[in-house]
Amino acid sequence: MTDPMTSRERVLAALNGMPVDRPPVVNPGSVMTVELMDLTNAPFPDACRDPELAARLTATGYTELGFDSIQPTSSIIQESSALGCKVQWEGKDNWPTVVMREPIFRHVDDIRIPPDLLEHPDTQCVLESIRILRRRFGDEVAVFGKAQGPWTLGYHTFGVEPFLLMAYDDPEATKVALDRLKEVTVLFGMAQVQAGADALVMSDHATGDLVSGDYYRRFLREIHIELAKRLPIPIILHICGKTTDRMGFIAETGMAAFHFDSKNDPAEAMAIVDGRIALMGNINCPDTLYAQGPDAVRGEVLRALDAGVQLIGPECAIPLQTPIESLLAIPRAVQEWQAAHDANQPLTT
Amino acid sequence: MAELTDIKNELIRAEIDEYVGRPDERERLIAMFASAGPQMQAISAALIDGDHATVDGLTREALAAGTTALEVMDDGLIAGMALVGIKFRDGVIFVPEVLACARAMKAGMAHIEPILSASGAKPLGKVVMGTVKGDLHDIGKNLCIMMLRGSGFDVIDLGVDTSPDTFIEAVEEHAPDLLGMSALLTTTMPNIGRTIEAFLEAGLRDPDKIMVGGAPVTQAFADDMGADGYGKDAMACVALAKSLIAEGTGARV
Repeated sequence: MTDPMTSRERVLAALNGMPVDRPPVVNPGSVMTVELMDLTNAPFPDACRDPELAARLTATGYTELGFDSIQPTSSIIQESSALGCKVQWEGKDNWPTVVMREPIFRHVDDIRIPPDLLEHPDTQCVLESIRILRRRFGDEVAVFGKAQGPWTLGYHTFGVEPFLLMAYDDPEATKVALDRLKEVTVLFGMAQVQAGADALVMSDHATGDLVSGDYYRRFLREIHIELAKRLPIPIILHICGKTTDRMGFIAETGMAAFHFDSKNDPAEAMAIVDGRIALMGNINCPDTLYAQGPDAVRGEVLRALDAGVQLIGPECAIPLQTPIESLLAIPRAVQEWQAAHDANQPLTT
Repeated sequence: MAELTDIKNELIRAEIDEYVGRPDERERLIAMFASAGPQMQAISAALIDGDHATVDGLTREALAAGTTALEVMDDGLIAGMALVGIKFRDGVIFVPEVLACARAMKAGMAHIEPILSASGAKPLGKVVMGTVKGDLHDIGKNLCIMMLRGSGFDVIDLGVDTSPDTFIEAVEEHAPDLLGMSALLTTTMPNIGRTIEAFLEAGLRDPDKIMVGGAPVTQAFADDMGADGYGKDAMACVALAKSLIAEGTGARV
């Protein structure tokens, strides 16, 4: 058994492939809920735009839920908003969303990165929240930043359908678009590194629900390798949906971890990546965490741990109505598993 | 029984041979394409290839030559989309390819729909569809609508980000046979359940009338939320709609 670690030490060790006292519980997607908003008096959408409210709500991931990481990005709109996309801010019970039906780019030559991208209130909110959390928690807990990858920015700025059709009709133009948009990822990612982030979640939704693994290979593999080199902290790639057909490519990018979805069997995923990248996830959000509750959560956590998944957490951002009890069941199950593991008494689900 | 070699179009023959493994589907597709004329097969092949310009041109030519709009739609466009749907379901192609095929189908339907509308043919049923509150992702919903319309349904499209109240108002206004809603995000999926609850509270819930879908939605989640049917993709949506209509008693949503 390893000496007890702080949450931050545990997360960073796992991301760097080092021994841990127990697998860390992490939130590469948001674990903010309506209950936690009420608890902290930090409701959406204000908590998405005010750094102090965002930090207060974010901190509950550690103080109330017992997770080992916190990350203050409450949605995936920040860079796109700063690029000029229209955002639908919604209310307390819904996530802010980019209005992709009103794209800001129609052609690759339209792509412009505003010089004040990092001064925009929505990017500033994340940067200032990271600074607040770093000051408040010091080295206690891991602070994750989050940046959108160029594929996701393509959806937001061109619209999902036009972007996917561009990839089909004109692969070369799409590559140019991705090459330009990736600079947004680098700018915002580097700013979060400087603000004090320990690791950076990079969402790049080339999901198996939309595109094949071959699209990942052709359009994103090289870009992700480049981003992993340019961003000087551990990178956690997030892609939703079925991804086993691209995990082999992802494992070769040099990123620290891949945050994967419950549509993928943990044992199969572990076999594919074969130790080349850590896996993070993959507790189902809508069925298990939101609808079924703690017993089902425990079962999924144990299944992931038994498969060897190194960092445990929800598969994606959780529904805002998810009961806190379901979230508390994740660290509880991890601790139970570790205790049994230390006592050499395997648990049954 | 028709054989694969009875299909004259080389691309369709090769596609069925390579991608359609289930015996019942293979038999159905071979029979369908073998009975279609060369011009209809050419329309299907262009659609399968995602070539909207060719579908546009061939559809014009076929109609000008006297082929009925219904025949072009069924034997050319829908037949092609049936094969596209199988390839999508089985992971042979993904959304960009389906979008290209859908664009081709739309190019053909642009000539067909005005003729069919003017003919006054009775629709198979009326469907109200939208994405749930907070969800602006509508590719899947739009594919479902295109396939439903192509299959003879009258569809009222509420678009995206549809609140429970808007769904209820649409049902009161249009009295549909079916209500369809979709969600692409795990964060918006609970709004499926909240919409169904709103129908219950409004006293407007009728059995066997609400169908749901969306990439992260599963049959188990649909059951948990109280939906009457779940469709994995656009092809399944059409089959589900037909099945719910067939099972229905004529009562409204």
